Amino acid sequence: MGGRTDESGGGKEKEEEQDGMSVHSPCKTLPSSASSLSKEQSQVELELRLLEALEIYPPIKLRGIHRHFVLYGLMEYLGRSFERQFTADEVLQLLDRFYNIEMLKSDDEDMDILNHEEDFSLPQSYFDKEEQ
Amino acid sequence: MGSSSKEETASDGDTASGGASPSNDGRLFSEGERVLAYHGPRVYGAKVQKVELRKKEWKYFVHYLGWNKNWDEWVSADRLLKHTEENLVKQKALDKKQGVEKGTKSGRSAQTKTRGSADTKTEKDDTKNNAAKGKKRKIESGNEKDNASAEKLMKIQIPATLKKHLIDDWEHISQKDKVVKLPRSPNVDEILSKYLEFKTKKDGMIPDSVAEILKGIRCYFDKALPVMLLYKKERRQYQEAIVDDTSPSTVYGAEHLLRLFVKLPELLSYVNMEEETWSRMQQTLTDLLKFIQKNQSTFLLPSSAYDSDKVSDGKGKAKDD
Repeated sequence: MGGRTDESGGGKEKEEEQDGMSVHSPCKTLPSSASSLSKEQSQVELELRLLEALEIYPPIKLRGIHRHFVLYGLMEYLGRSFERQFTADEVLQLLDRFYNIEMLKSDDEDMDILNHEEDFSLPQSYFDKEEQ
Repeated sequence: MGSSSKEETASDGDTASGGASPSNDGRLFSEGERVLAYHGPRVYGAKVQKVELRKKEWKYFVHYLGWNKNWDEWVSADRLLKHTEENLVKQKALDKKQGVEKGTKSGRSAQTKTRGSADTKTEKDDTKNNAAKGKKRKIESGNEKDNASAEKLMKIQIPATLKKHLIDDWEHISQKDKVVKLPRSPNVDEILSKYLEFKTKKDGMIPDSVAEILKGIRCYFDKALPVMLLYKKERRQYQEAIVDDTSPSTVYGAEHLLRLFVKLPELLSYVNMEEETWSRMQQTLTDLLKFIQKNQSTFLLPSSAYDSDKVSDGKGKAKDD
């Protein structure tokens, strides 16, 4: 969809298309007036935010036992940034652009936990009477 | 560097580390050893992760159990205590002195665990003194671990009646030598599904986020059960019940799920999370606990249903005292 539309189709404000700059689905036909540029922008924004989020929720943790909570963290981070709900799949798809999660080596820290078997015991506070 | 008040008979004084047996080279603690460590005026459960000889002194890299690994640090032997009864008593004494309940679930967090201002690796002697009371936020965007305040653990309030179940559970197993009859119905998997159903009916839909948390719980349960959720006396039963690829969440039930909640803060301490996100997650977890509480008559076993541990042959003769 190249070119600017001159027709008065209700304020089609397409700024000049930056052909060749788009790396995102150039074959997608946008039915609406949403400028493909701003669509790109929001994709870029999404990705930027994701990369920001990864500082807190590192991809490697998406391989270990904590992975659901890490994914949850990402979902919440993005959700707050864009003020809408994100599904797990959406986040995973976004991630997919940058990481091949299966190829990441598993989190070593998991071994810390999993190799250290210990018998369960209740905290002392359970047996003290004045707890709450 | 640092004070060494214990004997250090490091034989060569070179940087050899690892490989030597604990008693031969002068190191007092070994890798993987569970210890007690001073930090500020209090003593915390910790684990030695690495041992190195530096400038003729043994240094131990410790991880404080239940704390985010950002607190991990190198310490000298004078900060550490062996994990003995005697020292545990000492720990409790210090806790009391600080007016803190170990494993407290109260809202206030009186931890006095602070980072030294800029350098965190050379905390030579701020052991028992000058521990400024400070709180550090668990938010870790960027590098805030050196300043601000933090909640020690991600606390989860377990309702009192459920705590009581945990105590009774302990009594049956430790004092009366009984075990929970397996397989349980409903099992953990089913309980989580029921919760999902319940929420869907109530709210019309489940946010993906809640679903993800539940998946996380199931995942933790399956992995953590044999590692940290069993009493010693239950191990034999476990060996029998969980064979091949059986998931614990399809065999065990609410009794053990509750134990997971006890351990949850410890598990989650390995996960960096924004405060706000944790807060929302806490809501879901609390809600799940309430759900379990509401259904305790069907989810949790009455005393009479605990059985003495024996090789299962299909018979379920309940022995009561």
